[in-house]
Parts: sequence; C-alpha cells; structure tokens
Amino acid sequence: MTATHCPYCALQCAQAITPGDDADGRVVVEPRAFPTNVGGMCQKGWTSADVLTVPDRITSPLRRIPSTGSGSGGASGGGARFEPVSWDVALDDIAARVRAIGEQDGPDAVAVFGGGGLTNEKAYQLGKFARLALRTANIDYNGRFCMSSAAAAANRSLGIDRGMPFPLTDLADADVVMLLGSNLADTMPPAVQHLGPVRQRGGLVVVDPRRSATARLTDEGRGEHLQLSPGTDLVLMLGLLHVVLAEGLADADYLATRVDGLGDVRRSVAEWWPERVAATTGVPETQLRRIARTLADASPHRGGRGAYLLTGRGAEQHADGTDTVTAVINLALALGLVGAERGGYGAITGQGNGQGGREHGQKADQLPGYRMITDPVAREHVAAVWGVDPETIPGPGVPAVELLTSLGQPGGPRALFVHGSNVLVSAPDAQVVRRRLTSLDLLVVCDFVPSETAMLADYVLPVTQWAEEEGTMTSLEGRVLRRRRAIDPPAGIRSELEILAGLAARLDAPGTWSTDPREVYDELRRASAGGRADYAGISYERLDAGEALYWPCPDEQHPGTPRLFAESFPTPTGRAWMVAVRAVGPDEPLRAEAPVWLVTGRVLQHYQSGAQTRRVPRLNDSMPRAYVEIHPVLASRIGLDGIDDVRITSKRGSMVAQARISADIRPDTVFVPFHFADEGMVNAVTNAATDPVSGMPEFKVCAVQVALAASTPGGA
Amino acid sequence: MSTRQEPGPKVVVIGAGMVGHRLADELGRLAPHLEVDVLGDESYEPYNRVMLTELVAGRIDLAGLMLPLPGTGRVRVRAGTRALEIDRERRTVVTAGGDFDYDLLVLATGARARVIDVPGLRDGLPRGVHVVRRIDDARDIRAATLNASQAVVVGAGPLGVETACALRHRGVDVTLVASSGLLGRDLDPAVAAVAGDQAESLGIAVATGAGVASVGVRDGRVDAVHLDDGRVLPAGLVVLACGSAPETALAAEAGLATNVGIVVDEALRTTDPTVFAVGDCAETPAGVSGLVAPGWDQARALARSIALGETADLPAIAGAAMRLKAVGMSVVTMGVRTSTALPEDRVVSLSDRQARRHVELVTRGDALVGVTCVGAPELASYLSTQLDRPGMLPADPMQLLMGAAVPAAVESASPTTMPASTTVCRCNGVTKGDLVHAWDDGATSVESLAAATRATTGCGGCTTLVCGIVDWLQTTDPAPVSQTTSVVREANVPAR
Repeated sequence: MTATHCPYCALQCAQAITPGDDADGRVVVEPRAFPTNVGGMCQKGWTSADVLTVPDRITSPLRRIPSTGSGSGGASGGGARFEPVSWDVALDDIAARVRAIGEQDGPDAVAVFGGGGLTNEKAYQLGKFARLALRTANIDYNGRFCMSSAAAAANRSLGIDRGMPFPLTDLADADVVMLLGSNLADTMPPAVQHLGPVRQRGGLVVVDPRRSATARLTDEGRGEHLQLSPGTDLVLMLGLLHVVLAEGLADADYLATRVDGLGDVRRSVAEWWPERVAATTGVPETQLRRIARTLADASPHRGGRGAYLLTGRGAEQHADGTDTVTAVINLALALGLVGAERGGYGAITGQGNGQGGREHGQKADQLPGYRMITDPVAREHVAAVWGVDPETIPGPGVPAVELLTSLGQPGGPRALFVHGSNVLVSAPDAQVVRRRLTSLDLLVVCDFVPSETAMLADYVLPVTQWAEEEGTMTSLEGRVLRRRRAIDPPAGIRSELEILAGLAARLDAPGTWSTDPREVYDELRRASAGGRADYAGISYERLDAGEALYWPCPDEQHPGTPRLFAESFPTPTGRAWMVAVRAVGPDEPLRAEAPVWLVTGRVLQHYQSGAQTRRVPRLNDSMPRAYVEIHPVLASRIGLDGIDDVRITSKRGSMVAQARISADIRPDTVFVPFHFADEGMVNAVTNAATDPVSGMPEFKVCAVQVALAASTPGGA
Repeated sequence: MSTRQEPGPKVVVIGAGMVGHRLADELGRLAPHLEVDVLGDESYEPYNRVMLTELVAGRIDLAGLMLPLPGTGRVRVRAGTRALEIDRERRTVVTAGGDFDYDLLVLATGARARVIDVPGLRDGLPRGVHVVRRIDDARDIRAATLNASQAVVVGAGPLGVETACALRHRGVDVTLVASSGLLGRDLDPAVAAVAGDQAESLGIAVATGAGVASVGVRDGRVDAVHLDDGRVLPAGLVVLACGSAPETALAAEAGLATNVGIVVDEALRTTDPTVFAVGDCAETPAGVSGLVAPGWDQARALARSIALGETADLPAIAGAAMRLKAVGMSVVTMGVRTSTALPEDRVVSLSDRQARRHVELVTRGDALVGVTCVGAPELASYLSTQLDRPGMLPADPMQLLMGAAVPAAVESASPTTMPASTTVCRCNGVTKGDLVHAWDDGATSVESLAAATRATTGCGGCTTLVCGIVDWLQTTDPAPVSQTTSVVREANVPAR
C-alpha cells in the first residue's frame, strides 16, 4: 500500500494505492483519513485508477504523419494520423526544430504552456526550461484560467497569494461561511464535510446564479442562497460593504490599526445603496441587509465565532474578476476577519496543484518562490541557484489568452510546448484557439492520453501519471503534500523531468537538469528561499515523517505557517491595503439577438477538460455529454419539450447539447458544463475578453441565443 | 491632442452634486488631458444626495455619503465655492475666490426645494420647519427629532414618504400630508392605496383629501400645521417635501434661455454653444428629470460627447425607475403602468391588499416595459433585471410573477416513497435503486452498503438517508433475498 493523494482537484484527498495482485492486475484506490477529505473521496477519486489503463493510453512518442496536401499541424485533429517513433528520434527532431526556429526568429518564437496539475517539481523545472533552455519569455499556463484573479487581488491587498491562508478545518468553527461562485459540492465533494457545523448553525451563504448542489446545502434553514444575476458579483459585494459601513457594523479598531485605504473604499460604495444594488443584481435589498448583518454578527469584533468569505471561479472568471475579489477582500477587512483567529478570506483553488503551480515559475511574470521576474534581487537569487548570469534570464512574457492568440501570428511564437493542459477545450473562444494551434510550425504536447489538444500536435510525448511518480503538490490550503509512486509506469513512458532533461541537453542549456524529483525539489527549495512562497524548510524527509507543513517555511526548524496575517501583512507597510474598485458589469451586454446569459461550470463526474474523466467508463456513463440547464419558462418560450437538443450561439461560435429543464437556474440564464469537446464544447461560445489586471478570461458570462437544435442550421 | 504637460481645454462645472460629480469623474477618466474645475457651493465634498433620508433615519453616517474623489485626470473639486456670475463674453465664472476661465461650461446647478406659499412660511422658514435638499437640512432634521415628538411631513412623493418612514424609524409620531394620495405621481390610485396601507401599518398617520392651509408659528417656532379642511396637526417638526424647482437663476442672469429649467437641446447644449446643462436644472426636449438615474445618464452622455466626440444618446425621462428607500416600505415602479399603458399592451396585475402587496407588469410586443411592485421586494429586484430585455419575455407574461425562484417540485425525501432512480449519494452517483440491489446482493448494513456502492464515502451528507433506507429495507425485507434472484423489485413499492 502506498500513501499518496488524488490526481484531480486541489482538495488532494488522501489515497491509499495498492497494486493489483489479482489476475487482472487492477490497481485498488481507497481513501485515507486526512484532515481535508476526512476519509472521504468522490466518484472521480474512487475511479482514478481507471485512467492508468485506458485503452488509448499513449506509450510511445508519436509523430504526426503529414497528411497529403496540408502542412504540419493540419486543419483539424479529427483525421490526424500518428506514427510511433523512438525517444531519441522525437527529442532530436524537436530540439533541432526549436533551434532552427530560435535562430530564425529569436528565442521568443518558442513558447511554453503549462498546467496547474503538474507537480511542484515539474512546474519548477518547466519554468526553468523555458528560461534557460529555450531562453523564451513566453511561458504561461492554464492557471491563468483558474486562480489569476484571486491571486492578483490577494497580492494587491494582502501582499501574498495563498488560496486559503488558513487550514480548511478552520471553517468548522465559524458562524458564517460565504461561498461566492463556488460549487464545491460538485467540484470537491468531500470538502462539504467542513461545512457541516456552520450549516448546523444556519450560517452557510451561497452566492450563485444557479441553485447548484452547493446552493442546495442552504436549504431547510441551513443558510441562504443569493441567486444573483450573472456578472453582478462585484455590485453585490459593494452593496454588502455599503450596508456594513452605513450601519456602523465594521471593525473600527481593526481598520484603524491594520488597514489602509478605507477612505476611498468608503466613497466607492457610497454610490451603491441597497435598492440600487437590488435592481442590478436581482438580490432583494431586504436579503442584502440581512446578509450584511449576519456577517457582521459572525465577526469577532461583535462577539461572533468568525466568518469566512471564500471565492470560486464563478466570482473570479470575469473581466472584472480581480476587482470582484478585491471587493470581497475589502468586505473581509472591514469586518476585521483577515488574520483573525476565526475568519478570513480565501480562494478555493481548483486544479490539483493550482497553488504550487502558480508559485514556481510557470507564470509569465514570475520566478520560483512567487518572485517577480522583473525584480533584480529575485533574478539574482534565482540565477545563483541556477548557476547562470542573471542577464540570461528573460523578462516577463504575456498572459495565457494573449499568448494563445499570438501563436502563429506575425511576430508571435511559431512553436509551442504544452504540458498538463488540454488548452483546446479549456481556453475561451475555442475556434480561435484551434486556428492558432494549427497555424504553428511545431506543437509538442506532453500527455498520457490523446487529448483534443494532443490530436493537433506534431509530437505527442507520453508521460507518467500520478500513481507512477514521485513529487509534491501544494493543496488549496497551502500545505505541501507528497505524491508517491505506487506502481511502475508502462514501458516506453518517461517523466516530464526526463523529457525536459533530454531536451535541455540537446539544446545545450546551462545549469543542471536532474531527473530525480527529490533533487529537483531540493533545488526548488533553494530557489524559493526568501521568496513569498518559501519552501526552504519543507523537505521530503519532514513530509514523509508526517509533518503538516504549510508555506512559508523558511528553514528546517520552522514549523510552517498554517495561518497567515495574525500579526501583520507581508506588504511594505505591514498593513493590508483596501483598494477602491468600480463596477463595470459583463463585457458583452445582452442584446435582442443574444438575450440570454450563458454561465459555465463543472459537474461532479468530470475534471477540467475531461481528457481523463471522459475516459473512465463509470464517470462517462453517468455524464457522457454536455447539457444545457434551462429554466421551464425559457424552455417553453423556445418551444422546448423535454430533452431535445438545444443550440447555444454567441458572436464567436455555437454548441449543441441536450436540454435539462430545471427551476434551479434563473429564467434569463442557461448553464453548460465545459468539460466536453466537439459539438458539446461550450468554450466555442465563451468570451475571451480578459481582466486587465490578471489576464483572466470572462468564462462565466456572455450573451447568447438559445434555440432548438432541430430548428437551427449547424455551425456558427 | 495635447500632452500631459500642456494645459488642456478648460471645463468648468457649476454644481458638485451627484450629476456634476459624475460628469467630472467620467471626464477625468475619458479625457485626462482636460482641466476640469467643479464648483460646489456647499462646504462638503460631493456626496450622495439620494441617501439624505437614510441619514435622517440613522441608517448611514455622514462619511458614508461621500462620493469617490475623481482619481484620474486633472479634475479638481472646489467645495464651498459659489458661482456668483457667468461672464459669457470673457468665458469666465466669477466666484468670491476668483474667476474660473472656461472653454466649455457645464451647468449642473440642480434644483431647490419648493416651499409652499401659505401663511407661516412666507417670511422665511420658522424654526422647526425644514426642507430636505442638503446635508445640513438632513442633519438639522435629525437633531430636531431629539426634542420633537410629533412631526408633520408635507408632501407624499418619494422624498416625503422616505422622510416620514425615517422619522417614524427614529420613534417620532408622524403625520404625512398626502393631498393627492401617497406617491400619487408614481402610482395609480388603487396601487397608491396599498402603499398607504403600508405606511399606516408602520404607524404613520396619512392625512389625505386636504392640503395645507397654514403653518402655525409661535415665538418664531412652528407648533402646528393647519389643513384646509379644518384639521389641526400639532407639530414640533415640519418637513416640507413639496417637490423641487430647477435652479436656473445663474443661467437666466447670464442670458441663457430658461423655461421650467435651463433649456437645452438633444446634445444638452444651451442657447450658448459653449455652455451645457445636465441633471435636475436642465430642461431637455424630453423634459426635466428630477431623478438621479437620468441625470447620471446625461452626465455620461455629455462626458462622452465632450471627450470622445460621440453624439449624446439621451435616455428617456418618463418612466425612469423610482425605488423607494424607506425603512419598512418597499415600492418600486419603472416604465409603463396601467394608466400609461397603450391599448395593445398587456397588463398583468396581482393585488393582495390584505398583505399590503401589489404587483403589476406591462408587456409590449416582446418586452417587459413596465413594473410596479408594492410590498414585494424579492419580485421587484428580479423584475428590475428583466425590464426592457427583448427576447426574454415568457410565453405567458404571468410567469414573470413567479420571479426567479420557482420552488422546484419537491422530490420525496422519504426513503420509503422516493423513486428508485433518485440519487442518494451524489458524490458517487449512487441511486436508491443501486442500494436496493446491493441489499439484495447481501449488503445489509450501512457499512456493507458503503463498501458495495461507495455511498456515504464522499462528503458523508447522505449517511442519514442511507440509514433510513436500511431501516426501511429491514422493516420491509427482514431476510435478505437470495443472491440469485433476478426479479427486479420496484424500489418504491414496499415488499410484503
């Protein structure tokens, strides 16, 4: 039996993996007792071993067979044909082509797209590979689609970005937990256990345009559901803060001693009185006032047991996502929650290593340890660890959407490495992404299955899965966890560390390129030392001895930091900074041709782009297709009867899926999960407008037309 | 375009109220090179006038009224600077503290409170009588509630009703003089009556059918309001909420055309092409607004036209939304109502007088064009998000009355009656039918059912339900059926 953690989301449920010794050789996965999952595991975790043996698992490097008449990349992945080649053939050719492109158009013509599911070791090494081996500034990752708004807001206001700056188990003590745009009952079900006590006290508040599985947890007096109009989260927060300040419910002592910027923020909410907020959000002013008072009464300065305000992608994936999170933080600061013994603000990280993946150099503007690539001191420190001249480290690149839309364009990258991401399905405005990917001269995808993105590649390089590798993951609470190898990978497969080392050698990269996760991790520790996300004191030995270690942990005697902000904030002044924000509203307004809001999200059975979970029979059988959740009133308006297929169309594209008529959604809104490809791919419809601060795309709201599929022509 | 170093064109805004403030804020954002001076005659920085009655009610403090200071551009707000004269020849505005030259001038002088012409009020307001227009008015009223136990509010428009509710909230006995019904300009009479019921339920006495004949004054202080039907209402505090009149004096003295307000064209331009007017003081071809929302829209439109050269696309004034901000009352009306509907419009209404509730919808073609909600804040907030959205009208407009939240058909939560297809464990996708099959296969305890189906092993939220199903199966089926049985049992029909 090997103790490790689940391959999927950031809750990182503890697993025990037993290699099969029966005739079938099936690997058995069971949950382990652990504080975050409390012995629980969802259907995805229970069936995770199925991905190890999917029939189309890639076990050899694959090279695209050029189709007659069209250039490399091809127009579509549908008819792509690949041939197996040896590792040497693949890596030699890739390196040669990278070198040629670099010599022709400069190092920035080769780009890297990483993922929030990669271990810390891989994420670190990928960032180093981009800077030292490729010498490119162009690296970013799919975490840009996940955590970037929350990260930007937390850094700006609190001086640091650790999704939850407190252990998840702290929620049990609170009077109120407010979830904004998080459907954790579907996305990380075992986490619901931590809401039990607060639900017993009637204190769960869920903000969501849908009556989601999570919103239903407020039923029967367990709390309240605020079913706001899509894209109005920011206004709702301004309204809550308005009431808190107007009614004198703020923590004046805390604001005076620990926070700057209240004056401007107070003015900014003066324009958002409850009745105006009600008309914009659809949340009645009576409920708004009640929630504001409930939050205040839960706050320590008024004798409460504490309140936690937690955001998910629903609040963050907007063109004003950073400002929305900022408004949530402002509210938490006004109530004196941040750094209180009980209470605070947190972002619920999505991807398995969404936290660690954003700390060690995959982001366009960052170096390991959450250092800024523009900071000369940071460059010097990291360069010393890497054994290079700081001058050789490139400057900041561009964020994900900008990177993707520049691919194959004049002046844009001509080659792309994709690691741990199925970007074709998970990026907004997918038609554009497909065109950009197919216009590349070289696309290299590392994956273990032929994902939709891999099918567009010139080379697919097969990599190890979670149960086959060693490493560390940093969970949603900033705790570093050990991933352990339970079984051997199939023959012919290499770890990403091996691939990167192989390519680095062929590209004559400076520095050392270990293929041993522990050695890479120890280098990561040195690189992160002194940074905001300081892992220096967190060793494999301490983790293997069972210590619960949360970063920052600057040395091996340090106990780690489960709770941040108790004394001060890691800002230049030591005080938190309230930033005044303005409500702008959805990027794309409704209009007569597109009168319905589309919101997107997740279902319990699938993870991210579905590349893994759609291959698990038990998961796929219960959720084989995308669906359109639609209110009975809208259904009757479009003549929908039962389970017909409906077509969703925006300016950018369209998709088709079966209708699910449900009163759980607002009549003016439809919901579609985004895990699906082909005609069920909702990201063909979503808006690629991005947040000016974080680069987060506006996945969560756009204007669409909804019609019966039978009555509309195919295509956009 | 001028660089940041050179002074840009000079814009002077007279009036630092909500509309003047919004204009300056937008200008600073859209055209940072403009030099913008905002002259406000009150000593306060720009504040939210709409919230003054909330200040009276004590639901907000003074600091909470202050509006954002324009953060971008070259915008300066000069509080306590009264414009004395406009010299259009020299293009300058004269103040006690010096002249302000302009290339463009915007008048946002707002309105002044109307004082009714009755004995007692003709030689200035006696002590104890107030209007509600400025911060100082609201502070005075608030201070007066400490001594006055009886108050009369004259005028039952939104401001009067909000003030009456605010005073009542502070524990003062209030009579609201509503000569033409409560909110008579905003509501049709039958609906106004429902609003009147609401006010009375709060303990506000509503005096209808009579106007004010005179105000009784003793020793320079008010002591009663005399109605023209002979009633005498003793009062230590009287608030006049009798409407407002556009502040046009400065414009008229400068020779600009004025009528009810300062006359402007579609582009908000006065008879002098370098002078504009916005907000309560402006009389556009559509009329005088008197509400903040159309004023803000005008400010935005004018800012875009000055900064970007866009043609101002002016909002309609008629039918602008009115949302009462009154402690204990909820009244929202926007767009068309019964009395203003066209013959071909559909008017759907629901009246529930006993519950002091009335909801009315007007649809025209494929859009919701009117909403009136009294005593229905939940519906009002939902319908506010649906107004003027062509393409969203339900097949039957009556369905709009359900709002966003139609309670779903309640699925049976009883382990006995729930259908076999009901999902018991969401985390692992286990239905009641799956549990029954597992039971039939010999898993006859919660633990063994969990091992067989993984129910309860995710978030554990279904443990109680699984226990209930075990209890039910035990009572209906004490002996596990043979594992070889192939008979599919209807799970929702208890076995004998």
